Amino acid sequence: MSREGNRSPLKAVASNIAAVRSFAIVAVLAMGGLFAAPWAIGQTHVSGHGRNALDPAPLPEPVKTYGSKTAPIRIEVFSDYQCPSCGNFYKTTLRALINDYVAAGKVYLVHRDFPLPMHQYSYQAARWANAAARVGRFAEVEGALYDNQAAWSLDGNIQKFVAAAVSSHDLEHIEKLMTGCAAPPPASVKPAGMTMAQQSTQACSVDAFISQDVALGKQVPVTQTPTFVIYNKGQKISTVPGQISWDILKKFLDSLLAQ
Amino acid sequence: MTTPEESKGQRRRAGRFLLVLGRILLAAVFLFSAYMKLKPQFPGAQWSIASVRTSLAMFSLEVDAYQILPPWGVTFVANTLPLFELGLGLWLLSGLALRYSSVLASLLLGGFFSVMVRSYIRGLDINCGCFGPGDRLGPRTLVRDGTLLALSLAVTIGAFIANRERADSSVGSAPAILPHSAE
Repeated sequence: MSREGNRSPLKAVASNIAAVRSFAIVAVLAMGGLFAAPWAIGQTHVSGHGRNALDPAPLPEPVKTYGSKTAPIRIEVFSDYQCPSCGNFYKTTLRALINDYVAAGKVYLVHRDFPLPMHQYSYQAARWANAAARVGRFAEVEGALYDNQAAWSLDGNIQKFVAAAVSSHDLEHIEKLMTGCAAPPPASVKPAGMTMAQQSTQACSVDAFISQDVALGKQVPVTQTPTFVIYNKGQKISTVPGQISWDILKKFLDSLLAQ
Repeated sequence: MTTPEESKGQRRRAGRFLLVLGRILLAAVFLFSAYMKLKPQFPGAQWSIASVRTSLAMFSLEVDAYQILPPWGVTFVANTLPLFELGLGLWLLSGLALRYSSVLASLLLGGFFSVMVRSYIRGLDINCGCFGPGDRLGPRTLVRDGTLLALSLAVTIGAFIANRERADSSVGSAPAILPHSAE
């Protein structure tokens, strides 16, 4: 005798009806949701429209760069000196990149400031780094800021670490450039806890460099730090938000260079 | 007026139609996902082994951003996942052993979804990497992948039901053969 014959016909039909109905409901809901969801795969490349906005340089050339401009690959890193991920990214990935691919003329690395309002001292750190960049000591100061991030993030005493990273002669120049830089940053990058009354006009000579970078970052758009934009032979390849390990970035750069 | 048998048959046909539709949709998603990850990522670039290598290396940046796997794991996943998706898409499209292919698809999508939810809760503002570079991880991508997971589960359930119905009907038709075999 068949299995069908062992079951009550009514029960079998009821079981099938319930099964088909439940499947149909789940499937219809799933497919409905799929089409209702904003399925705009094409929108994933919206950031690519920012390419032309990044290329022109209406303000002076960035002074926070490593390597040769003629390198086939250009990487622009948007970072915040007080962001822990940026510190890790610098120490574990960017430092290796600078020592290896930048030194070999394969990569041109551009630092872009993107101080986040949530970090109390990041804007001031960016000012110190920009002032150092104007006297050709950006690499030393950037390294010092990231290496001692945990220390100056507590009290905002950035000058101490800048002084330790450069000669007294360079420090004198940097401090001169920092004249007027005790004023609060512009409203667009206002640190947490600062009132509008505390805002002032830009009196600091290096604020223009930071504002330029922030404006470029907003066009990318940068929503977190670090975020880096990769160009190959002048063509924008990718915008990567987040921290990437050196091994993985190295493989990617090798594949680009092999093309 | 339709008899219970006719009504049952209509429902079965509707269920099979939905199952085929869901299976094809799921296959299309996997094939599209694999294509987006493997295709040349630069405008004007041609398909070549080098372009595929670069595409996979670019995908590895997205996988690494999740900060879950060590570098060797990132490389392994980035190099194998697009090919796995391609194979799974073709398998689903063929309809062969649908129960197994749909279970595999559900496990894969479930894994993706849980990793995405975890990263979103951790506050990682990264690319999803679901359909190649770009595509920022956020509520939109979570809704989309959750919906795909629901679809995959529906296809899996449907595949098991269809298999049971086939088994029942084949056993049900046995009495017509039994007298001959008894002879």
